[in-house]
Amino acid sequence: MTRVTQQTARIVFFISAAASAMAAALVFGFLLVFGFPLIGGGEFFSLLARPWSPGQGLYGFLPMTMGTAAISFLSIVFAFPLSLGTVCFMGGLGPARISRLLDGFVRFMTGIPTVIYGFLGIFLLVPVVRTLFTSAGSGMCILSASLMLSLLVSPTMIIFFKDGFDSVDFRYIRAADALGADSVQRLIYVILPGAWPGIVTGVIMGLGRAMGDTLIALMIAGNAVHVPGSILDSARTLTSHIALVSASDYESLAFKSIFACGLTLYVLNALAVIAVRRLGRKRGQV
Amino acid sequence: MNIRILGGCLRVFSWGAVLLLTGSVLVLLGYLLVKGVPSLGRELIFGQVDVLDAVLLRKRVFDGLFPAIAGTLSVVLLSVGLAIPVGVCAGIYMSEFATVLQQRVFGLMFDILAGIPSIVIGLFGFSGAIFIHKYVSNDFRPCLAVSVVALAFLVLPYITRTTQASMQGLSIQTRQAALALGATRVQNIFYVLLPQSFSGILSGIILAIGRCAEDTAVIMLTGVVATAGIPGSLLGSYEALPFYIYYISSQYTDATELMSGYGAAIILLVVCAVLFVLAFIIKRRLAGPAGPVAGEFHG
Amino acid sequence: MFERIRTGIIKKTGIAAMSLLAGLAFFLVSAQAGAIDSFNGLSGEIRISGGTAHIPVMKEAARQIMTANSEISISIAGGGSGVGIKQVGEGIVDIGNSGRAPSDAEVEQYGLNLFKWAIDGVGVAVNPGNPVISLTKAQLKDIYSGKITNWKDLGGKDSLITVYTRDESSGTRAVFWKKALDKGDIVSSANFVVSNGAMKTAVANDPNAIGYVSVGHMDASVAGVALDGVFPTIDTVKSGEYTVARGLYSNTKGDPSGLTKLFIEYLLSPEGQQIVVQKGFVPVN
Repeated sequence: MTRVTQQTARIVFFISAAASAMAAALVFGFLLVFGFPLIGGGEFFSLLARPWSPGQGLYGFLPMTMGTAAISFLSIVFAFPLSLGTVCFMGGLGPARISRLLDGFVRFMTGIPTVIYGFLGIFLLVPVVRTLFTSAGSGMCILSASLMLSLLVSPTMIIFFKDGFDSVDFRYIRAADALGADSVQRLIYVILPGAWPGIVTGVIMGLGRAMGDTLIALMIAGNAVHVPGSILDSARTLTSHIALVSASDYESLAFKSIFACGLTLYVLNALAVIAVRRLGRKRGQV
Repeated sequence: MNIRILGGCLRVFSWGAVLLLTGSVLVLLGYLLVKGVPSLGRELIFGQVDVLDAVLLRKRVFDGLFPAIAGTLSVVLLSVGLAIPVGVCAGIYMSEFATVLQQRVFGLMFDILAGIPSIVIGLFGFSGAIFIHKYVSNDFRPCLAVSVVALAFLVLPYITRTTQASMQGLSIQTRQAALALGATRVQNIFYVLLPQSFSGILSGIILAIGRCAEDTAVIMLTGVVATAGIPGSLLGSYEALPFYIYYISSQYTDATELMSGYGAAIILLVVCAVLFVLAFIIKRRLAGPAGPVAGEFHG
Repeated sequence: MFERIRTGIIKKTGIAAMSLLAGLAFFLVSAQAGAIDSFNGLSGEIRISGGTAHIPVMKEAARQIMTANSEISISIAGGGSGVGIKQVGEGIVDIGNSGRAPSDAEVEQYGLNLFKWAIDGVGVAVNPGNPVISLTKAQLKDIYSGKITNWKDLGGKDSLITVYTRDESSGTRAVFWKKALDKGDIVSSANFVVSNGAMKTAVANDPNAIGYVSVGHMDASVAGVALDGVFPTIDTVKSGEYTVARGLYSNTKGDPSGLTKLFIEYLLSPEGQQIVVQKGFVPVN
């Protein structure tokens, strides 16, 4: 290989890496430019606090922010115990053979598309919620969406929790065993404290994924534009709002305002990523 | 005494969690199979048309899933095909040539890209298409090409990360043997490192394929429509399986259409689940990947 | 002041009417020929988007044409009337469907030609299991503005009313809001659905639902509600008894040509109008 080939190869690799890194910035740039009319005048923050009523010239997305917050956090409330319990099971509280099967099952779950959760939610979950909770109206509400979403994000959280568990130095585990600890004691005194960063990472990742999901909220949360008052209320998330409004025209202020929504989501995601990387660095990774 | 009770509670709690999790998913999937399996068959995919006629494009399929399946296939192959060269090269750079600062900064950007909600990427693709429509060519509009590029953005981080991780995960002996024998760094990459990390890179590619196949949010905004036949050109509209499922779920006009929705859901589920499990099995063959790896962000 | 109102009204009806007449005149001659044969030997693509009420007719027409001629491909998307008008105006699609007549401003801005090929109504729909089958306009307005919240206040079961509505781009919504609600408020807790088909599905599956849907779309899965005594059926729309009616339009930018022209001719031909009747709408020819 000649020197020229060497240099070219290196340059090609560098350009690929730089271009890929630029991709994230490019997305941000487009969002900014397209949403500029509404953002430029410093209106962005007022948008955060106003309701959505295009007929009256109101393009705020407070209801959608509340909807995203409600559905995401509620889904983490459901998913956290499920995931932690599962990982504790895999970490020793359950028989090893079943743990292996469980691990495979969780991996399988990561492959279930979200549109399928939404689809099944409409036909299986929504009628159940509707009959169980009479004040839930159509059954398309925050509760239904959160339940489905928790199933979606659990595999993610389980995988990160498990990594946290696995990262506990095995010498501590052996030491605990040598001192006569049973699996419960080992779990509570050695593994859980050491796995804490992994657990926090898992929660953040799960929250990120819950906030970024579109289809489940779009299909089973009802999409009403009010600020939700209870978990049985119909609600709309930032993501499903983008999906709904972008099907409309693309010149109006209504459309431009969804770029503000997109920016909000982008920034939230970036913050989550930075937080996780900080945590990772604390643990000695980069 | 106290620890006994706590331990007992913890055991019950963890068993409960496992049963609840697996139980819910199994109930959902069982329902899907029960409802959907009866609709599986030649008619679901090809409607009234002969299989051979449809596949050889002699006759059009109007009431089957064939156009949607063809659309999904096209968009997946094209976008992964676009992402592979860029992603692998970027991964190689990150693993072999990047300085610590570059690794930090680029790594941050890749992570951010990986975490962007897919609808936001779809919005980006749509705005890009409108931009081109206004300033470059008035004939341009959201189409297959736009979806392909947007999906490539979506899965680029997967490929980059797995390439980087599998190359960095090679043992130090493997990484340095050729260098010790006088090979240049680039020769080392092409003759030693890439072949050795092939299965890791492959698992990343398969993951990317699965991710593209299941995505709905991106394609919804960048060119997929409910009725378009098989994709004719890069600049035309197309159908896709996940969009069909979404569309049918809210707008089915009779029981047959609803049944076809279930059938489509089963097909999509099987394809994606197989791809993800395959990717995982291949990744497992490597010894110890570096930390939590790709595959976690879906939209 | 009266002068201004009069000229305003004349101007309004004027522009829309003239575009409509121009469009129809353009086709009156050619609409008689065997429309499907006119596609013989041609190839190309037709892109259609817009009103969701039009979709069943669009799909059937497309199917007929594409079966007769395998070189032609027709893609159909929804999105609502607003989307159709905007997209055809911007050149993103060849035909933009709308369930309301484009406003004068829209016609002027984009240079649209209008082609009305069916008449449809927008009817109030509830679940077939709901005992309430008749409402006054005042009651309807109160339901949608959120003043009446329980079916028992209307003689039905004791359960909360779930209100369904469409997004701003929908022509069906525009007509409903203008003619049935008299531009009244729509409560912010209403569930949003994205098309006529979706509205039908939602109402059919929710026992406490109330929504509005194209009359042509109504079937046994939903129950039409009489408004001030008149049931929304295709006959009452035809006779004019049911006043919440609208035309189904296909709009093009400028004069249509090539495949687009042939498609619109097909819609207005006897074969096309038969499809219109078959799908539950009132034909114009």
